[in-house]
Amino acid sequence: MNVEELVRQSLREQAGEQPPVDTGFADRVLAVRRRRRTRRIASVAAATAAVVGIAVAVPLLDRGEGDARPAVGLGTDGVQAHPDQSPPRDVIGAGQTVLAAHYTSALRVRSEKRGTVERTYWLLDARTGMYKKDTRWSFVAVAPGLRTAAVLERGLPAHRIGLLDLASGRVERWIQVQHGVGGLAFSHDGSRLVATTYGEDPDLRTKEKMQGPDGPVWQWNSAYGRSSRSGFYVLDVAHGTGSWSAVPSDRTINARQDFAFSRAGDRVYAQYVGGRDGLQQFYSLDGAKTAAPADEKHLRSDVPARLSPDGRLAALGLSREVDGDPGRSYSSILDPRTGKEITKVRGADLLAWADDKRLIAWERVTGLDETYRPRLVLVTLGSDKVVPLSGVREPDEDILRQKWVPVFARR
Amino acid sequence: MDAEAQDGFRGFVESRSSALLKTAVLLSGGDRHAAEDLLQNALIKAAGRWQRIDEPEAYVRQILYRQQISRWRLKWPRREVSVADLPEPAGDPDASAAAELRLLMRGALARLTPRQRTVLVLRYFEDLPEADVARILGCSVGTVRSTTHRSLARLRALAPELRALDPGAATARPAPSRDFSPMEVR
Repeated sequence: MNVEELVRQSLREQAGEQPPVDTGFADRVLAVRRRRRTRRIASVAAATAAVVGIAVAVPLLDRGEGDARPAVGLGTDGVQAHPDQSPPRDVIGAGQTVLAAHYTSALRVRSEKRGTVERTYWLLDARTGMYKKDTRWSFVAVAPGLRTAAVLERGLPAHRIGLLDLASGRVERWIQVQHGVGGLAFSHDGSRLVATTYGEDPDLRTKEKMQGPDGPVWQWNSAYGRSSRSGFYVLDVAHGTGSWSAVPSDRTINARQDFAFSRAGDRVYAQYVGGRDGLQQFYSLDGAKTAAPADEKHLRSDVPARLSPDGRLAALGLSREVDGDPGRSYSSILDPRTGKEITKVRGADLLAWADDKRLIAWERVTGLDETYRPRLVLVTLGSDKVVPLSGVREPDEDILRQKWVPVFARR
Repeated sequence: MDAEAQDGFRGFVESRSSALLKTAVLLSGGDRHAAEDLLQNALIKAAGRWQRIDEPEAYVRQILYRQQISRWRLKWPRREVSVADLPEPAGDPDASAAAELRLLMRGALARLTPRQRTVLVLRYFEDLPEADVARILGCSVGTVRSTTHRSLARLRALAPELRALDPGAATARPAPSRDFSPMEVR
């Protein structure tokens, strides 16, 4: 037997193992066809599968005329909006949440075949209320309260974590670490940090020859399927003490796949790649795989807003789109315990809760058949109204050069 | 699409979708969810032209193949992709060596680029001659031949155990064993 014959046998064996398609597949296809328009962005296309089977009825929504407020400047309800600014120059916020920083990223070529995608941060200067460029950092996580940020210097993985005083712009303390760190996230109460450790720079790219439709093409690739992630530290911010836990890497994670705390802070989780988008694996603080907390098992790792401040609602992904000028997107709000949809709320990508009834989201300003161009908006449960918070973010030129990405923190 | 056409479409999907899904699974490197997604997209396209299609199955298959290798997939590398682990070596010493090799092969096939995998599925699962593969994929016979050759070389590089099957290849210079999977997955 030669390789060709083995290919033939393996393919036939694999094909023969497939169970039949579910009954009703044709109706599912027809239903999706009715709803779908040409998708121009990957996230929307990937979310389409999730639309199947979800009731499309949207609860009665008022049009929001009664709660219109000025969208510029500081509103009476703590809304700080600058819908003419992209990227934002002046503070943006709503309720208890503030855009604490934003960053762009771009490939920095190190040699003919190696490079790193580096971030450039703009941090909120609390005194002036403006975002100020700070090129010192590879990675920034802002603690609740907006007084402190945890930072990593250029050159990942880093062997010390800085605690930056956002008022003075100075690092007040360094936490030395033995294992190199590539990503940081604060616990919900801000008292602890989870620092994800990597053997090499998680933003490394190598130039590789790939087979494109029209012949070979050279692409800058990350190490998909062979991440150097090694584990995580859980650190007490006040004392700089903590411990490291190993988590073996496997082929289901991206090169950069940072950990974050569960709401209660008794576990950490990270995204992994599988049969659908937004999968998450939880770990105990000593690095053992564990089940999701009861109120987080229905969440998606790719929807940043997660649980509402009071923990009674869960923000999920895009579940409906309505064409128009502009198109309207709706995301699901679930009961976190049961996973049942309670309502839908405007917004294509729910980023952060402003309070228990309002969220900050990306929402498109274009029709469904046009290129996806979103802006930050404030959306309210039970209302169809969106309040623009930022200017329109133009599409990334390519995946190696990202336009601004928001970083939120609680006031 | 009128009611009659919808009935015809439903009948086609019910009778042929299981067979079509087998091909889609192979094209997707064994990822059933990705395969259903692929097939669903192909069927949606077919539904849009249903009353003008003479041979629905050939039409859907062509969409499957072309969709799998299309520029769109290359352009959006953050899209979810299948992740197939290489199978663990069989623990049972009596396990059939052939079955073990097939499992190894399956893992290696999952790590090819969609284009490489598609060409192998057409050549060795559908048993199509090179000229037909070229017609379906809209490329030259020479491209089919070179892609087939490179795909087989890549399989040998991914699973060196396969070289034992092909003594001629055992002495060949090994190709770099880098995984060419798309780069970042959301």
